[in-house]
Amino acid sequence: MLAGAAWLLPLLGTAHAATPSPSDVEEGRTLFENSCSSCHGVDGKGTNLGPSVVGSGAAGAHFMLSTGRMPLDDPNHQPIRKPAAFDPDQIAQISAYVASLGPGPDIPEVDLGRGDLVEGQQLYSENCAACHSSAGAGGAVGAGLEAPQLHKATPVELVEAMRIGPGTMPVFEERTISEEEADSIARYLVYLRGSGDPGGLSMGRIGPIAEGFVVWLVGVGFLILVCRRIGEKE
Amino acid sequence: MTVTEIEEKRAVRRIAVAFAISALAGLSLAAVYVSGGQVQAEGLLLFLALAGLGWGLAEWAAKLLPSGPEVGDYADPPRPGAEREVAEVVEEGWEESFGRRKFLFRMLGAAAGAMGLALVFPIRSLGPSPGTSLLRTAWRRGSRMVREDGQPVRAADLAVEGILTVFPEGQTDQADSQTVLIRLDPSVVRPVPGREDWTADGLIAYSKICTHAGCPVGLYRVATHDLFCPCHQSTFDVLNGAKPIAGPATRALPQLPIEVDDEGFVVAKGDFSEPVGPAFWNMPQ
Repeated sequence: MLAGAAWLLPLLGTAHAATPSPSDVEEGRTLFENSCSSCHGVDGKGTNLGPSVVGSGAAGAHFMLSTGRMPLDDPNHQPIRKPAAFDPDQIAQISAYVASLGPGPDIPEVDLGRGDLVEGQQLYSENCAACHSSAGAGGAVGAGLEAPQLHKATPVELVEAMRIGPGTMPVFEERTISEEEADSIARYLVYLRGSGDPGGLSMGRIGPIAEGFVVWLVGVGFLILVCRRIGEKE
Repeated sequence: MTVTEIEEKRAVRRIAVAFAISALAGLSLAAVYVSGGQVQAEGLLLFLALAGLGWGLAEWAAKLLPSGPEVGDYADPPRPGAEREVAEVVEEGWEESFGRRKFLFRMLGAAAGAMGLALVFPIRSLGPSPGTSLLRTAWRRGSRMVREDGQPVRAADLAVEGILTVFPEGQTDQADSQTVLIRLDPSVVRPVPGREDWTADGLIAYSKICTHAGCPVGLYRVATHDLFCPCHQSTFDVLNGAKPIAGPATRALPQLPIEVDDEGFVVAKGDFSEPVGPAFWNMPQ
């Protein structure tokens, strides 16, 4: 029982900073001008190199910075998860500055304890699995883009991604997926990480088609050996 | 009896048993199929039928057929009548290999016949004719859109760049009616001529079933407004009538005309623009 709940503990401490002070916004502006404005513009309205961040809200900035997707070395590359370039305080300051540019989604409160595992599985299958795969392992979505695997993101980052629709992902607002439903999805994804592989070899949870090919190769290979054996002359 | 003869007898017995198992499995397969079918049992019986046949043939080839080339001396120049002698040897060989094996041939015939019989019955499963059911879905004028759990969809539920899978109210079990509802920024919508009033507040709805092979086209790339099919990479341009722009699909995703009713719910204004899913041979153009 204790062991089963242990994985929840580090994830429950996800309460974010209180309302930012005006000095945080100022600090954030300085950091933004130094590190972000070459692509997103000094006022955050975007340039040829990068989109406007006005309206991205604290959630958008916090997601992009805490997952290390921003800053991006080459604006032509799809941002991928990297170690964060800023510490949590700096991220909070930049997020506060971006939030001050225009109305946008706030950093969500996530309470895994409130989520329902069964509901999370259903909602995940309906809304997320098409791109991120039924096991959260991610997958190709064409045009050289990929939906990332979801096993490294914190619950807050998971819900932020739903609210802002980063990159080519659609937006799932609270009107579409309520806060409780988002908690359920996050809880289900955290559950998947610790669920183990009852079938044995996971093969990277690459999905039934690819796994089927492996079975065919191994199974048919074995059958060929059997056929050869019984057809052998003595 | 010599050792070889005993071994041969045993081989014949094993082959006959293998064919007999195959024949019984074939007949049982036919019986199981006709009496309603049970997938696991059918699979096991098909395995037994094929394995018995294969085992018997393999053992026949290994144990009963003459093995290896026979080497002999020819007189040089050839004796008169040598050709005739060769023909006799070949005939004897044939007689030895096959003529004496009438019993085994009957067993082989029984096994092959039983399986042939079992494979005839699935023809029945090609019917009955689908009639006009491929031409229509459950969407009707005034059908309310609901999510998979039956909850009705309000126009305000979906943010710009949001996507939902919806069904007609009370018909969430109708797979051919599954639809993707997408909200676009109203300024980017360029309706296909004749469909100017098929969208509402930037909401646009297309069949979720790929026109290539019928997979669910559930991957929406908002940056380029493409719907992407995970099975074979067909890509549909949401802004331009969901026409295919890449991949094997050749027909656009059928569009569902929609409007928002007085209570704010999204409702259909009729059925899809065309039959949904992959093309079929008598599909109206």
